[in-house]
Amino acid sequence: MPEIIKTAGDSIRKNIFLLTGILLLLLFIVPGSASAQQQRFPMPEFQTGYELPDTDRPEPRAPGMEIFDLAVLVLVLAFTTWLVLKRRSRKLVFWTSVFALLYFGFYRNGCICPIGGVQNVSLALFGDGYILSLTVLAFFVIPLFVTLFAGRIFCASACPLGVIQDLVIIKPVKLPQWLQRTLGLIPFIFLGFAVLYAATGTTFIICRYDPFVGIFRMGASFSMAILGVSFLAAGIFVARPYCRFLCPYGAILRVFSIFSSRHMSITPEECINCKLCEDSCPFDAIDYPNDEKKNRATKADYRRFVFYSAAIPVLIIAGALAVSGSYKLLSKVHPDVYLANLLVEDPGMMYESDMTEIETFMASDRTLEMLVADATEVQSRFRRGGYYLGGFLGLLIGLSLTQQVTFRKRTIYEVNRGSCYSCGRCMEYCPVGKPDHPYHKEDNNNHS
Amino acid sequence: MLMDKSDNILNRARFIAVISGVFTALVSILLIFNYVQISLYDPLDSQVMKQMVARLSSEPGNEELIREIRQMDLLARRAYFNSLWQLRTGAALLLAGAITLIVSLRFIHRQDTHIEKPEGNNINEKQVRIRSQKWIAATGMIIILLAVLSALFSSNHLRQFDTERLADTASVDEEDGIEKLQISSRVAGDDPVGEPADEPEEETGEVVETISRITMADLNENHNSLRGPLGHGITPHSNLPLNWDGETGENILWKTEIEVHGYNSPVIWEDRMFFSGANDQRRVVYCLDRHSGVLLWEREATDITGSPSVPPETTDDTGLAAPSLTTDPYGVYAIFGTGDIIAFSHHGERLWARNLGVPENHYGHSSSLITWDGKVFVQYDTAAGSRLLALDVADGSTVWETPRDNDISWASPILIEQDGSMRLIVLSNPNLDAYDIDNGEQLWSVDCMSGEVGPSPAYGGGLVYAANEYATMVAVDPSDGSIVWEDRYYLPEVSSPVYHDGYLYIATTYAVLACFDAQTGDFIWEFDGEDRFYSSPVIAEGRIYAFDTSGRAYIIEPGDEPVLVSSPDLGDPIYSTPVFADGKLYIRSNTHVYCIGDN
Amino acid sequence: MSKIQSRRKFIRSITRYSLGFSLAALTGFSLGKATKSEWVWQIDPFKCTSCGRCATDCVLNPSAVKCVHAYDLCGYCDLCGGYLEPGHISRDTAAENQLCPTAAIERRFIEAPYYEYKIKEDLCIGCAKCVEGCTAFGNGSLHLQVRHNLCTNCNECAIARVCPSDAVIRVKAEVPYLIKGGFTPE
Repeated sequence: MPEIIKTAGDSIRKNIFLLTGILLLLLFIVPGSASAQQQRFPMPEFQTGYELPDTDRPEPRAPGMEIFDLAVLVLVLAFTTWLVLKRRSRKLVFWTSVFALLYFGFYRNGCICPIGGVQNVSLALFGDGYILSLTVLAFFVIPLFVTLFAGRIFCASACPLGVIQDLVIIKPVKLPQWLQRTLGLIPFIFLGFAVLYAATGTTFIICRYDPFVGIFRMGASFSMAILGVSFLAAGIFVARPYCRFLCPYGAILRVFSIFSSRHMSITPEECINCKLCEDSCPFDAIDYPNDEKKNRATKADYRRFVFYSAAIPVLIIAGALAVSGSYKLLSKVHPDVYLANLLVEDPGMMYESDMTEIETFMASDRTLEMLVADATEVQSRFRRGGYYLGGFLGLLIGLSLTQQVTFRKRTIYEVNRGSCYSCGRCMEYCPVGKPDHPYHKEDNNNHS
Repeated sequence: MLMDKSDNILNRARFIAVISGVFTALVSILLIFNYVQISLYDPLDSQVMKQMVARLSSEPGNEELIREIRQMDLLARRAYFNSLWQLRTGAALLLAGAITLIVSLRFIHRQDTHIEKPEGNNINEKQVRIRSQKWIAATGMIIILLAVLSALFSSNHLRQFDTERLADTASVDEEDGIEKLQISSRVAGDDPVGEPADEPEEETGEVVETISRITMADLNENHNSLRGPLGHGITPHSNLPLNWDGETGENILWKTEIEVHGYNSPVIWEDRMFFSGANDQRRVVYCLDRHSGVLLWEREATDITGSPSVPPETTDDTGLAAPSLTTDPYGVYAIFGTGDIIAFSHHGERLWARNLGVPENHYGHSSSLITWDGKVFVQYDTAAGSRLLALDVADGSTVWETPRDNDISWASPILIEQDGSMRLIVLSNPNLDAYDIDNGEQLWSVDCMSGEVGPSPAYGGGLVYAANEYATMVAVDPSDGSIVWEDRYYLPEVSSPVYHDGYLYIATTYAVLACFDAQTGDFIWEFDGEDRFYSSPVIAEGRIYAFDTSGRAYIIEPGDEPVLVSSPDLGDPIYSTPVFADGKLYIRSNTHVYCIGDN
Repeated sequence: MSKIQSRRKFIRSITRYSLGFSLAALTGFSLGKATKSEWVWQIDPFKCTSCGRCATDCVLNPSAVKCVHAYDLCGYCDLCGGYLEPGHISRDTAAENQLCPTAAIERRFIEAPYYEYKIKEDLCIGCAKCVEGCTAFGNGSLHLQVRHNLCTNCNECAIARVCPSDAVIRVKAEVPYLIKGGFTPE
C-alpha cells in the first residue's frame, strides 16, 4: 500500500482521504502495528513559509550532579563517623540524618541507593552485557568500606530508608530474643534471592518491594503505599522493622560491622556497669554482662556445637539441591519463562488469547522455539544460581545454629557490633565522663 | 509554677497530636476513597462515553447527543484531573499531618521519659538459646521443605517442549566429532535505533554459528530431502508401523492440519519437520515438532528482490509449492514456483533469500532441492535458460552455475557416490547427466529420454536408472555413461523408481507396481494396487512402502514373489512421498500431515 | 590481655582484612563492567507496540512517559489517525471526534490541506492511543518517549518491568532521547 502511494505522488493526494479510510478499515481488520518506519505521506512542501517546530528534548539532571550526590554521601558518612567516634553527639547525628533523609529521600527520590546497588552490581558481574555506572558502584562500595572501619555509619545517618524509620520510633518494645534472632535470618535470605533474581536478569526485587520509596516520591501504587505506611506505623513500636528484619544491604553491613576495626561504644572510657543504658537501645543491640555460672556452655552445648558444625556441609548440600530443584517455580518470575510455559502448555493461546504479552509476542519476529530456547537458558541460569543460593542458605542456617551454642563471657555493657546502627542513643544515657549527668546527682543523694 | 508551664506545653502538644492524628486519619480515608473511586470508574475509559460515541456513528445528525458527549467529555476530563489534584494535595497534606503527629508524639514521649535506672531485665540466656535453635532450625527446615515441594509440584512445560532435544543436539554434535567450519551469519538485530552504537563494551558483533558438513551418518539419521538419504528412496530406519487406519485413528500418533497446501513432501532434521505450502497470495515454510505435531513456526517468503508481484500460472496438480525442501544442520532451504529460494535457520530466522528468475513451466516448477557439502543444488530446467546451480548454504550465493541445453524437467536431482566423490545425477528430456558437485562440470551425458519427465532417477547395484511414461526405462553405467539395458514394459509417470537388493521397482499411474531385475532389465512381477501411484515408493526395513492416490498404502515384502504384508488405508488422498524417522512414518496429504507409529 | 582475647583479636583482624580484600576485588571486577556515563531509561519507538502500560505502570502519576511529535516525519494530514476517533463524524476539534482522552493534542491549521499537531505535555498521560493510530495508518511521527524532566530514573524502571516488547531500554544520559525522524524517503 505505501509503495503505491509513494509512486503515485501528488495526483493521489486528493484521494488520500479515501485511501486513509481504507487504511483505517485495514487497521481494525488486521490488528498489530507496522513498527517499521514508513513515510506513507510525504512531508508537504509548505507555501506559506511554515517552519518545522523542533521536538522538545528536556535534558536529564545536569551531568556532574551524580558526583555531587556522591560527595554528599561521603561527607555525611565522614561527618557521622566523626560524630559517633569522637564527638559522641546523638543530637548532631540526628540532625545529619534528617538532612540525609531530606536530600537522598525527598529531594533525590530515593534512587539510587546502595541497597538497590546490590542488584546492579550482581547483574553486572553475572549477567551479560549490563553496564554499571561508576556512581552506582561507588554508592554500593563506599558505605561498605566505611563499615569495615567504623561500623554501620551508613545506617545511622545516610540511609533515607533507615532514617525515616528512625524518626518514627516513639515507644519501642523489646521483642523476645529468639524471635529477633529468627527474623534476623530474613535479610540474608532476601539478599540471596535479590542477587539470584538480579544476576539472572529477571527483576530487581529489592527495588520492587521497597516500602518507603513511594513516600519519598509522594506517589506509589496503592499496595506499596499501604505497605510503606504499615511499616512506619509498626515502626512506632518495633524500631526500624525494615532495617532489622528485611534490609538485604543491612545483612552485608552486619557482617562487615562485626569485624570493623573501630566502632561506636556506649561509654567513652570504662563501663561502670550502672545499667542505665539497658533500655536505651530501641534495637536491642546492647549485650548485657552475663552470669558465667548460669550461662556457661554445658557439655550438651559442646555436643550440639560439634553436631551443628558437622551438619553445616549437609545443610549446604541439602539446601543447594533443594533450591536448585525449585528453579521451575523461581524462574517463572522471568517474563520469558512465564510466557513460554503458558504457550507450550496451551499453544492454542497463541491465536486466541488477548493477553498483551502473547499478542506482542505473536506480532514479533520471535518464534516459539526462540522463546523456549531463551526461557530454557534463563531456567538453566536459575538452576545454577539455585545451587549457590541454596548452599548459602544452608550455610546461613548452620552458622546461626552454631552461634546459639557458643558462649561468650561478658562483664560489661557493650554494643552488639552486628546489630548496632551507631545511632548514638545509648551514648546519651551513659554517665561516664558527664559530671552533670543525673546519675551522679542521684549517687550523691544516696551517699548523703 | 515551672511544673505548670511544662504541663501547659505538654497539654498543647497532646492537643496538637490528637488534632494531627485525626487530620491524618481523615486525609488517609479520603485518599483511599479517591483510589477506590478511580479504580472502580476510570473517567478516561468511560463505557458510557464509548456507547454514546458508538450511538453517534449510527445517528450522525443527533445534535442533542453531540451536546451530551461534549458535556460528558468535559466532565470526564475534569474528574480525572481533579482526582490527580486530590491525590497530589492529599499526599502532601498527609505527609504534613504525619510529620506534625510524629513530632508532637516524640515531644510528648520525651517529656514522659527520663533516664532512670531500669528495673532490671531478667533474660534467661539459656532459654533464649534453646528457643532460638528451635526456631532457626525450623526456618531452615521450612526453606528446604518449600523448595522441595516446589521442585516436586510446580509444573514446567518447557521440558516437554525442548530441553531434552536441545541436549541431544548438543551431545550429537560433540560426540560425532564432525568436521566443523565457521560461518558468520548476519548481524542479529537490524533495528535502526538500539542501544547507542558507540558503546565499546557492547558486543553486538556478528553472531558466529558453527555448521557441520553433513556426513552419510547424518543423512541416515535425518530424512533431509525428497526420498530420503541422497534421494535414493531407501531409508535405514526400523521399527516402522505395518498397520494403521485413518478412520479409527489406529497408530496415528498425531495429525496436524496445514493451512496452505503444497505437493512437496516433508523433510526432517532431528526433531523438526519442514515443508512448504503456497497459493497465489502466500508462500509459506512450515516447521513442525515432529514428536508432537505442534507448529513451531511458519514463515512467509516475502520481500525477495526480483520476486514476481503476480506469481506465474500453474496447474492445480502442481501449484507453486511442488518442490520438496532440503535441510542441513545450518538451515532449511525452500524453493517455490515463483523462482524464490529462501533459507531459514531451524529456529525460523530468515538467513537469506533470492529469486532465480521466474521459471517458464506450464505446470509449475517441481524439481526438489538436495544438499551436500554446504551447497544446495537446484535443477532449474525451464522452457528457456535451463541451468543447474549450486548455492552456498550460508548466504545463498552461487558457488557454480552450469547452463543446460534441454527441455523442462519435473524430475529431481539425486546424489550418488562414485570413486569416493559425490556426483549429481540429473534427468530431463532428452538427457540423463552426471555433474561434479565441486565445480558443476558435466561428467557424462546420455541422450535416452523423451516426453515430460516427472520421475527422478534411481541408483543402486552400480547402475543409474531413469524412466518416464511414453518414453523408456534405461539403466546407465555411471562410470562412463553407457546404456546397460533398456525396457519399455511398465513405465512410471510421476512416481520415481527405486532400487533394492538387485531389483528395481516402479509404480505407475495405472495402479501397477512392477519389479524388474536391476542388472538385466528382465520383468519379474507385477502387483495391482487400487488407485494410481503418484507418491514414490520407499524401501524401509527391506519392505516396499507405496501409497496410492486414494491414501491406501501397500507394504510389500519383495523378492521373486511379492508378499503383501498389509495394506492400511489412511482414507486421505496422498500425492507426496512418505518420510521416515526412528520408528515413525510421516506422510502429508493435501490438508494434513500425519505421524504414524506403533502405539 | 588474655590469651583468648588476643587470639580473638587476631582472628577478627584477619577476617577484616579478607573482607576488605574481597570487597576490593569485587570493586575491581565491577570496574571492568562500569562506565563513567550515567544511564537513563528511554523507549525505543521502533520496538514499542503502544500497549498502553506506560500510562498505568510508571511510578509517577501521571506517567513520565509522554507522546512526542517528530515533526519532520509528519505528513500534516487533515485526516490524522493519531488525532481523530476511528469513527469520527467530521474532521474537527470537537470532543466526539478526538481520540485523545485528555484532549492533549492541539490541532492547528497551517495551509490547505495541512494541519499541525502539537502535544500539550501537561495534559498528556502517555496512553499511546494516538501513537497506535499514527503508527497504524500514518507515518508514525507520534511516538512515546520518557521525558527526563519528569522521570525519577528509578533503578529498575517499573514500565520496563512490564513492557511486553522490551522497548524500554537504558541509554546513556548524553543521548537521552530516541526520537524518530530525520527520515528521508528513498
